[in-house]
Amino acid sequence: MSDPKRLHPIAAVVNGLRQLKEMIIPFLIFVVFGSRGTDWDLFYFFGSIGVVVLVLVYGVLSWYRFTYRIEQGELRIEYGLIVRKKRYIPFDRIQSLDLSEGILQRLFGLVKVKVETAGSGGMGLQDGEAVLTAITKQDAHAIHDYLVSIKKSGQILQGDEEPQSSDDLLYKMSVSELLMLATTSGGVGVVISAVFAFVFQFEEFIPYEQIFDGVENFVQNGVVFISVVVFIGFLLAWMIALFGTMLKYANFTVRKVDNDLVITRGLLEKRQFTIPLNRIQAVRISENFVRQPLGYASAYVESAGGSALDQESSKVLILPIVKKRKIPGLLEPHLTEYHFRVDLSPAPKRDYSRYLLKGWLFTLPIIIAAIWFLKPWGYAALILLPISALWSYLNYKDAGWSLDQGMLTFRYRNIVKNTVYMRKNKVQSFSVKESFFQRKKNLATVEAIVKSGHGGAGGKVIDLEKKHVDRMYRWYSHETAE
Amino acid sequence: MTISEPQKRISEQALTVWKIAATLHSLVVWVLAGGLIAITIFFGFPKWIIAAAIAVAVVYSYLFILLLPTLRWKRWRYEVREQEIELQYGVFIIKRTLIPMIRVQHVDTQQGPLLRKYRLSTVTVSTAATVHEIPALDMEEAENLRISISRLARVADEDV
Repeated sequence: MSDPKRLHPIAAVVNGLRQLKEMIIPFLIFVVFGSRGTDWDLFYFFGSIGVVVLVLVYGVLSWYRFTYRIEQGELRIEYGLIVRKKRYIPFDRIQSLDLSEGILQRLFGLVKVKVETAGSGGMGLQDGEAVLTAITKQDAHAIHDYLVSIKKSGQILQGDEEPQSSDDLLYKMSVSELLMLATTSGGVGVVISAVFAFVFQFEEFIPYEQIFDGVENFVQNGVVFISVVVFIGFLLAWMIALFGTMLKYANFTVRKVDNDLVITRGLLEKRQFTIPLNRIQAVRISENFVRQPLGYASAYVESAGGSALDQESSKVLILPIVKKRKIPGLLEPHLTEYHFRVDLSPAPKRDYSRYLLKGWLFTLPIIIAAIWFLKPWGYAALILLPISALWSYLNYKDAGWSLDQGMLTFRYRNIVKNTVYMRKNKVQSFSVKESFFQRKKNLATVEAIVKSGHGGAGGKVIDLEKKHVDRMYRWYSHETAE
Repeated sequence: MTISEPQKRISEQALTVWKIAATLHSLVVWVLAGGLIAITIFFGFPKWIIAAAIAVAVVYSYLFILLLPTLRWKRWRYEVREQEIELQYGVFIIKRTLIPMIRVQHVDTQQGPLLRKYRLSTVTVSTAATVHEIPALDMEEAENLRISISRLARVADEDV
């Protein structure tokens, strides 16, 4: 496979479409403002067509220039229309191959291959990665096999050609779980705000006021009508979000192939992620507000490397939704360094007053402002006081920690309740903070940071017993401090 | 059974540098206060504004030029041991951080014009996920520290 190859021609179309998608807003403005019924209309018309043709030609030419080949243990890519560029990636530096199939790719039996390295330092380029937009499945397999053979020869594994790969199914999402995931995800809010943003964007073009004048009679018929419209709107938004989530997460499976976790998901667009087990820096279990009472949780792994731009490759969802009590059984056989049945020690009792005070310090100004500015109704804001108290109580109750067998566990709540499991040898730095007031009460805050993508992530627990924090500090210290 | 503090202090010159920097900052506050006073006199606003402006500027200068740098300097401690670096700093919130040698990716020293004048350097220690700073060390000490940390970090070997 050492002669240069081109991508499948469909790649030209995919790239062209992506370019057009990016241009769509300036383009719309051009067309909308352009046609005013003057002689210039013709100019705008041909101008638009010209631009589209140019983009397509550009797509085809850059497709023509883009070649890839495997040579001397490197993936060599040459591309660029005006400035010729070459990117050579040694195979033993490749961290993972992510395969995905969009709609166009699926029609032609092709895959998109994303090659990820741990590299950074971008100059505006997509850091440490190369993308082959559309190649045949055989070619993708060839690259994959080549990668595997290089990785294997690097190790001491010699002998038969027999690939002794193990392939365990770790988790497969059931239909009921998919439904559960979709109904309890936060995607609804996103869709609703997107709809709002979209509607208000066109405020200037669409004469809402005239439309509203027209429906004013309707409106006067009653609040019922508006309520119904709003309700239907929300229902629609919710259904769109539901549908979107279902498409994205359908067929979610996690398997363990050799030393990698391989995640596949998606119905229309299939995606596949590979996470080498040794790149996992920490495991995080999250329970959001809706899922927690139902006993459901999701599990993520923090992964080092990956590209800086792609959030999904550093914080990887491995169990989208699952009964919380099932998590140890699912993960422990595969992530052997971690164990999830830990006894967490809670924060000391005297903490609650501090949590409460902090919550109120934050809400009181809001309440006072509401009462001041919104005379009669402002008093309704007083309801924030008990809400904040409850919130503080949850934050207090969820704070916890545990130390055992080289593993540090933090539990804390921001909005979502998080439990983070970290191996000592993956923690990059460990800090203890004491404020003046904490010192008086013999309390301290702990924070541990692990690598995640190109940055850090980790956990922080506020107001733990000072002597416990000191114990963790000594545990982390390589030279036991006195 | 409390853990003993790290032993080493940062350079005493740091205090001078911080005070100079803070003086420059507070000059801005004085200029603003002066402007406010001028406006107040010109438009005949109530007199208490003048008093308030002066009070704010005085308190700001006192806090940031005299009080805080001294507290900050007193608190700043560090210690570089064979297998880890320990830092302690903060004024109202004391923060102590442990950085194991095996996590250190690289060490930098840097100095601005002010630091250079007083022959000081800032040492920055980076891990794969975090960056830590020792703000002002004697230039030679910083140099030695950089060399010794990078040597220790090379010796300590473990997978990331």
